[in-house]
Amino acid sequence: MALFGWFILRRVAQERMRTGLTVAGIALGVAVVLAIRLANASALGGFAAALDTVAGKTSLEIIGTGLGVDEQRLAQLTWLRTWGDVSPVIEGDALAVLSPNRTEAVRVLGVDILRDQPIREYRLDVGAGARQPTAQAFLGLLLDPSSVVITEVFARRHGLVAEPADGSEAGGRSTLQLAMGDVSRTFRIRALLRNQGPARALDGNFVLMDIAAAQWAFDRLGRVDRVDVRLAEPSRLDEAEKAIGARLPRGLNVQRPARRGQQVEQMLAAFQFNLAALSYVALLVGLFQVYNTVATSVIARRDEIGVLRALGTPRRTVLALFLGEAAALAALGCLAGIPLGWGLARGAVAFTSATVTTLYAAHAAGVPALTWIDAALAVGLGLPLALIAAAAPALEAARVSPLCAVRGGTDDTGETPVRKRWTAAGVACLAASAASAQAGPLHGLPVFGFLSAVLIVFGLAALVPAALTGLARVTGGRALGWLGIEGRLAHASLTGAIRRLSVSVAALAVSLAMLVAIAVMIGSFRETVIYWVAQTLRADLYVATARRSNLDAQATISPSLEQAIAADADVDGVDRFRALSVTFRDRLIVLGSGDFRVLLDHGALVFKAPADGPGALASAIGRDAIVVSESLSLRFGVRVGDHIEVPTPAGPRPFHVAAVYYDYSTDRGVVVMDRATFLRHFGDQRPTSLSVYLRSGADAEVVRARLMAQLAPTHRLFIHTNTTLRAEVLRIFDATFAITYGLEAIAIVVAVLGVTGTLVTLILERRRELGTLRLVGADLGQIRRMIVIEAGMLGAVSQALGMAAGLALSVVLIYVINVQSFGWTIQFHMPVGFLLQAMAVVLVATTLAGAYPARLAAGFRPADEISTE
Amino acid sequence: MSLLSVDHVSRTYHAGDTAVAAVSDVSLEVARGEFVAIVGPSGCGKSTLLHVCGAMERPSAGRIWLDGSRLDTLADDGLTRVRRERLGFVFQFFNLLPTLSLIENIALPLLLAGGARATSLGRARSWAAEMGLAHRLDHRPTQLSGGEMQRAAIARAVVHDPALVIADEPTGNLDSANGARILDALVRLNRDRGLTLLLATHAAEVAAAADRVVHMRDGRIDRIDVRRPHGEIT
Repeated sequence: MALFGWFILRRVAQERMRTGLTVAGIALGVAVVLAIRLANASALGGFAAALDTVAGKTSLEIIGTGLGVDEQRLAQLTWLRTWGDVSPVIEGDALAVLSPNRTEAVRVLGVDILRDQPIREYRLDVGAGARQPTAQAFLGLLLDPSSVVITEVFARRHGLVAEPADGSEAGGRSTLQLAMGDVSRTFRIRALLRNQGPARALDGNFVLMDIAAAQWAFDRLGRVDRVDVRLAEPSRLDEAEKAIGARLPRGLNVQRPARRGQQVEQMLAAFQFNLAALSYVALLVGLFQVYNTVATSVIARRDEIGVLRALGTPRRTVLALFLGEAAALAALGCLAGIPLGWGLARGAVAFTSATVTTLYAAHAAGVPALTWIDAALAVGLGLPLALIAAAAPALEAARVSPLCAVRGGTDDTGETPVRKRWTAAGVACLAASAASAQAGPLHGLPVFGFLSAVLIVFGLAALVPAALTGLARVTGGRALGWLGIEGRLAHASLTGAIRRLSVSVAALAVSLAMLVAIAVMIGSFRETVIYWVAQTLRADLYVATARRSNLDAQATISPSLEQAIAADADVDGVDRFRALSVTFRDRLIVLGSGDFRVLLDHGALVFKAPADGPGALASAIGRDAIVVSESLSLRFGVRVGDHIEVPTPAGPRPFHVAAVYYDYSTDRGVVVMDRATFLRHFGDQRPTSLSVYLRSGADAEVVRARLMAQLAPTHRLFIHTNTTLRAEVLRIFDATFAITYGLEAIAIVVAVLGVTGTLVTLILERRRELGTLRLVGADLGQIRRMIVIEAGMLGAVSQALGMAAGLALSVVLIYVINVQSFGWTIQFHMPVGFLLQAMAVVLVATTLAGAYPARLAAGFRPADEISTE
Repeated sequence: MSLLSVDHVSRTYHAGDTAVAAVSDVSLEVARGEFVAIVGPSGCGKSTLLHVCGAMERPSAGRIWLDGSRLDTLADDGLTRVRRERLGFVFQFFNLLPTLSLIENIALPLLLAGGARATSLGRARSWAAEMGLAHRLDHRPTQLSGGEMQRAAIARAVVHDPALVIADEPTGNLDSANGARILDALVRLNRDRGLTLLLATHAAEVAAAADRVVHMRDGRIDRIDVRRPHGEIT
C-alpha cells in the first residue's frame, strides 16, 4: 500500500493536468450515462407514479376497446360484486385555465363517490380536529355537476380556496376553469383534498368530480372509461383475473392496473434504448482516455518500473500498481460524475419530455432524487470498465524487465507485431459487424444492430495504428512542406509516436464517427419527413384542441365547432379524424378513422404498397378494410392482402389490409379505417382533429383569422394553416433530436480533452528533444507552431477516419437500428453543410487543444533539458 | 581580439533558501580558431560555464561577448538567434531527434533559420560525407551506432558555419575507438578549417589535444595550462 502511495498516488497528485483531464473524461462519461438513466426513469416515473396513486387499491380493471365500456353493459356486470368492490370510472386530462395566458394540465377523475371510497382514499382538508365527512356528505359536495374537489397542494399553489359549506363569502377565488376538448367550463371548488391517496398524483394536479359530471364534461355520455375492482380477497388475484376474464362479454377485457404502465414502458422502450446506447459512447470515449493515461504512464516510467523490478518487486505487484492507478482515476471520475450526472439529467429531461409527451402521450416527471443505487451504478460501471481499459498497459508494465533500469527504459519494442495483430482484429470486427447487421431484432429491440455499430467502433479503433502508419507514409515530409520546418517536425514526431497516439486518435475518431453517423441519420430522417409532410399535409387548415396534440389525444371536438367550420363559405370539405389507443397483439397501437373519400379528393398518403395506393384506399371505403402504417406492418409482419383481427367494442373483428402507407408521426403503429366503417363498429364518435380543405382561391390565413374570431370566444381551439403546421412538425422534429446532438457534443469534448492529455504526456516525454530543438535555434514561436500543427494533424487524421467509420455507422443506424426500433424507412441523405461545419469546428477545437501543450513546451529551458551534469 | 570574452561571470542557482554558486567570478578569453578544453571534477561548473558561453542561459553577474556582441544582456529571442546563427553544439548523449532521419537532423539548424530545403539538405549531405556518413543519410538515429550518432551531431554543429562550437563531454558516452575517432574529427575541424572549439571533458587524452586546458574547481578557474600557444591570443 505504501508503494502504491509513493509510486502511483504521488504522481497522480503531482501531474494535475493529466489527472484532471482523465478524471474529467471519466466524469463526463459516467455523468452522461447517469443523466440519461435518470431522464428515462423520470419519463416512466411520471406515468407510473400517477398510475399507482390514482389506481389506489384497485386489483383489476375492466376495459373496453379504445372507447371504454358502454354504460348499458354495466348492468351485465353486476356479478362482479361477488368478487369485491366495483367502481366505474371516467379518467381524463384537462387544462386548468389559471389566467388568459396560463394553463396547467390536470388529471380529472370522475367517480361515484359512494362506490369508490373503498377503492381510493379521499381525505378532505376539514381543519384540525374535525371529522372526515360521511360518504353521503361527500356525495352532497359533488351532486351539482359543476362541482369539483381539488387538492390542497394545487389550491395553495394557485391561491384557490373551497366554497365555505355554510354559503358565506369565500376568502379567495373558489372557482376553477377547466378546458376539456374545445370547451371551457367553470367549476365550483367544493372542498380540498389532503395530500394523500390519489391527490398525490402529478404533484397535486388532480381534480375529483362526480362520474356523471365527468361524462358530460368530457363528452363521454353513455360510457365509462373502465370499471375498477377491489377484490375482497386480494390473495385470489390470479384466480379472479382468470374467472372474470372468462365471464366477460365480448369486447371487454380484464387487466391489472400495472399493465397500463408496462404498455407505456414497452412503447417507450425503443426510444429509451436508443438514448441509453448513445450515452454509452461518451463513457466509451472516457475509457479510451483511461487506457491512454495508463499506457503513457507505463511507457514514460519503464526505467522506474525496471528499478522496482530490480529491487525485487514481483510482476503481480507492478500489475496491481497500474490497475490501482486506473481505479484511483476512475473513482475520482465517478465521484465527480454522480452530481454532474444529476445536473445533466435536469437538462436531458427538459429535452426529452417534449418528445415523450408529443410522440408517446406519457408525462415526464421531475428528475428523481439521486439514490445509492444510482451511485452504485456509476461506480459499478466506471470502475470495472476502467480496470478493463487499463488491463493491457498494466500487463505491459508487469512484463518490464529489471534490465530496463540498467539500459534506460524508453526503447519501444514490438511495434510491428502489435500493429499487425490490431489490424487483423480490426478487419475481423468489421466482418463481424457486417454479419451482425443482417440479424433481426431481439424482443423488438435492435440488439444486433447495436452490436454491429459497436463492432464498427472497435474495428475503427483497432485499425487506427495501421491507418496512421499508412497516412504517415503517404503524406511524408514533403506533403507538409508548405508548413515549413515546423510542419516537418510535427509530422516526424507524430510518426515516431504512432502507438501512443493511436488511442487518442481512436477516441476522437470514434466520437466523430458517432457525430457523422447521427448527423447523416438525422439529416436523412429530416429530409424524409420534409418530403412526407409535403406529400401528405395537403389540407389548408388543421383544427385541434391543443397546440401540439399527440396522435391519439382523447380531447374531442364538439358538434357546434364542427358544424361552424363546415358551414364557412370558403370550406370545401372537412376530414374528421378520430384516433384511439387500442391493444393489438399485446401492444398499444393507434386506431384511427378518417373520411377516405375526402382524403382521395383532396389529400394524399404516400403508399408503400400496393402500387395503386389510391385505388386500394377507394376499395376500402364502406368495407371492413384498413390501411396500416409502415411501422405497424414491419413490427407485426402485416402485409397487404392479410386479414388481421382488430379490436372493436364487440370484440376482435377481421379486417382486410388494403394498403401500407408511410407514416412518421408515431412508431407505435397506426391502423386507419374509413369513417363509415369506424361508425359501424365503434358508434358515433366525435373527432379529435379536423383537416379542412378550402375552395380554390380562398386565402387560408384569412379563413383562419375569420374562424378564430368567430369561434375562439366560445371554444378552446387551435387552427394551424398548412404552412404553420409544417413548421411545427419540423420544430418538434428538431427538438426531439436536440438531445442526441447534446450527447455527441459531450463525447467530442471528452475526446478533445484526450488529445490535450496525450499531447501533454508526449511533450513531457520529449523534453530532451524539445530542449535540443531550442538549443539548435528553434525559437518559441516555432515550438508553439509545431505543437499546434501536431494537434491539428491529430484532428485531421481523426476526422478522416471518423468520417469513413461514421458513414458505415449511419448505414447501420438508418437501415438496421432505425427500421428495427421504429419501423420507418428513411431515404439516405448526406447533410453536407452541417458535416462541413462540424468538421471545421472539430479541427479548430483540436488545434486549440494544442495551445496548452504548446505553451508548456515553449516553457522548457534548453540548458535544463540537455544538461548531463 | 578574442572571439569569446568572459568577464567576471558568475552563475548562481537557488534551491529553496539555499543559493548555490555553480560558477564564480570566471574570466576567460578564447581566440578565433583556438581549441580550449575545460577540465575538472564533476560539479566543478564546467557544464554551467558552457551553458552560459553557449547562450543557453544568462549569467547572474558579469559580461560575455561573442564576436563583439554582448550575450548577457540579450532576451530569449536574441539568445535563440545567437545559438541558431553563431553557435554549434555537441553533447555527450548526441541529442539527435529520434523521429528525423540523419540528414534531416544535420540540416536542422539551416531549416530552422528558414533556409531553402534543397540547399539545406545539400549542405547537410556534404557534411555527412565529410563525417563518413554518406551511406546513412536516410537512417533514423536509433539505427546508428553511438559513434555515428556523435559524428552526425558534429556535422549538425558545423553545418551552418558557426563562430564557435561548444562540446560537453563529446566522447563521454563512447568506447575508446569511437571516442578517438570523434576527437580526431574535432581536431581536424579545428586545425584544417579553423573551427573555434570550447570543450568540457573528463578525458585526459581529449584535453591533451587542446591548445589550452582550463582547470576548474568549485566554480572557479584553478589554473590554465597552455599546451600549444595560439597566435591570436591577446
